Amino acid sequence: MNPAGPDGADEVILSLEGVSRVYGEEVQVRALDGVSMEIRAGEFVSIVGPSGSGKSTMLGLLGILDLPTHGVIRVRGVDASELSDAERSRLRGEAIGFVFQQFHLIPHLTALGNVETALLYRGLSSRQRRGRAMEALEQVGLGARHDHRPVQLSGGEQQRVAIARAITTQPGVVLADEPTGALDSRNAENVLEIFHDLQTPDRAICIVTHDLHVADSARRKISMLDGRIVSDEQLVRS
Amino acid sequence: MAVSGLTSRKVRTLLIMLGPVLGVAAIVAAIGINESSKGHLKAKLQELGTDLIVVNASAGFGFGQDPVIEAAAVGRVGRLPDVVAVTGTRQMSDIVTVPFAGAEDYYRAFPVPVIATGLDLPSTLEVPLVSGRFLNEFDESSGARVAVIGRDLADEYGYLRGESRTIELNGLQYGVVGVLDYVLLEPSMDSAVFLTFTAAMEDWGLDDPDPSRLYVRAPVNTRLVAQEIPTVVSLGGPDGANASVPTDLLDAQSQVDESLNNLTKMMGGLALIVGGVGIANVMSISVIQRSSEIGIRRALGHSRSTIAIQFLFEALVVGVLGGIVGAGVGAGVVWGVAEYRGYTMVLSVVGLAGWALVSVGVAVVAGLYPSTKAARLEPLETLRLG
Repeated sequence: MNPAGPDGADEVILSLEGVSRVYGEEVQVRALDGVSMEIRAGEFVSIVGPSGSGKSTMLGLLGILDLPTHGVIRVRGVDASELSDAERSRLRGEAIGFVFQQFHLIPHLTALGNVETALLYRGLSSRQRRGRAMEALEQVGLGARHDHRPVQLSGGEQQRVAIARAITTQPGVVLADEPTGALDSRNAENVLEIFHDLQTPDRAICIVTHDLHVADSARRKISMLDGRIVSDEQLVRS
Repeated sequence: MAVSGLTSRKVRTLLIMLGPVLGVAAIVAAIGINESSKGHLKAKLQELGTDLIVVNASAGFGFGQDPVIEAAAVGRVGRLPDVVAVTGTRQMSDIVTVPFAGAEDYYRAFPVPVIATGLDLPSTLEVPLVSGRFLNEFDESSGARVAVIGRDLADEYGYLRGESRTIELNGLQYGVVGVLDYVLLEPSMDSAVFLTFTAAMEDWGLDDPDPSRLYVRAPVNTRLVAQEIPTVVSLGGPDGANASVPTDLLDAQSQVDESLNNLTKMMGGLALIVGGVGIANVMSISVIQRSSEIGIRRALGHSRSTIAIQFLFEALVVGVLGGIVGAGVGAGVVWGVAEYRGYTMVLSVVGLAGWALVSVGVAVVAGLYPSTKAARLEPLETLRLG
């Protein structure tokens, strides 16, 4: 396996500095309450916590799909709040890959087409896009099924297509939301293995999960409760 | 990639295209048919000449008989300044005309008009003979049983050019001496039989050679002449007459077509607007259905404007295709109608392109709202994290 760990020299890819996220105007819900953390290249992080603990809000903010009410989010050192939508979208596309519990593949596109979606609007020729998307599909073991549509694939395969889509842009961090939540245990194990394979010294993996088995397979485990981080521990791999 | 949302939902795409297609087709067809029929009318006016006056006898003080114009009035009208030709005609009744003995039943049911006429009819109407000659002075002075027939009737009878044959009028044999070409102004003449007034008086009991209708050719001051004629005909006597210039009627007809045309254009415009509303509607629903796709695209780094442009582009494609298909369908309808009515098709290519562009404009405007809506979707809300 790849050596990993916070050795100080690793680049900080994502950082939250005193971040709060408040929803609603009259009745305010403080989904995240003054959270500070960093994710560095090469880390394998899991974020756990019960429903309503703020971990989904945290994921949205880490992925700059949302902006904080207070505090600063930096992606590769850039304050996301300072950027225009187009700049932020561009930064997101370049730095961050997403994997979702419900896969969120586009139903009318093939596996390859879905992966290529991530490479659109980047000045790549369609040949280059195809080549890179194919490479990513092969990395998750689905090269042979590139022309299948989502309905023709099993849940585990669909999630692998979604993972290929997340990594084809060479992001610094892959954010995954319950990536094994919709899968049976065998497929879940397989997907988890792929995540471990994907972790490289210059790419971090961050998985939000309920599943303690998944959480405990990470190197670093962040536990949340009521919008705060209650523990942030390095796990020793047995 | 950008049109995959359209190609993957073909039926829906076709349905939303229907609005622009119908709108553009209706407008193009309305304008094209109008232009073609106007062109046709113009050609017809040209052919008829705008200098022919038709004078119909109108009921005077006499009762119990068809109104007529006294024969002497024909000469009076002919002597008017600017009149170059005048011919009187009178339609006869109760004569069954058949091409040969034994066909009475059919021709009793579908009678052939029999017209007593002056000798100058071809020159006055400016219609040539396609075969033989017209009735002449000798026919008139002798009362010979000779007839000229209209071109359609000649076809119907299987009359051969130059053939010597007779037709039967209530049992009397008349020799056919000529065939008159199509009379655009009086299509009923195409299937008529023409006799001299003398024959009409001798064989059919007409009391005097009084016509019921005059055809008058006046190349200059046509309308002024038309205004004078009733007075010249009646001279204060009991015979009344109405004079009209038939081509004025055609002009009026083209005016009627104009208002019909405007109505069709308005309906086409309405169809376009309704089509636009349809596009906005269906695309708004599409935005909701594709919200997860929009969310994932945002997560993959597509900006709000990229999403908006994608939806606008889909509307644009619908508008362009709808416009092209609509223009094609409209042009097809114009062609069909022109073919059916024997017009020459008149269609402006610039107009076609123009209306197709209007369709594009409508579609893009209609796409603005759903596109904006798509761009404003919050990815977090559509992706259902956690």
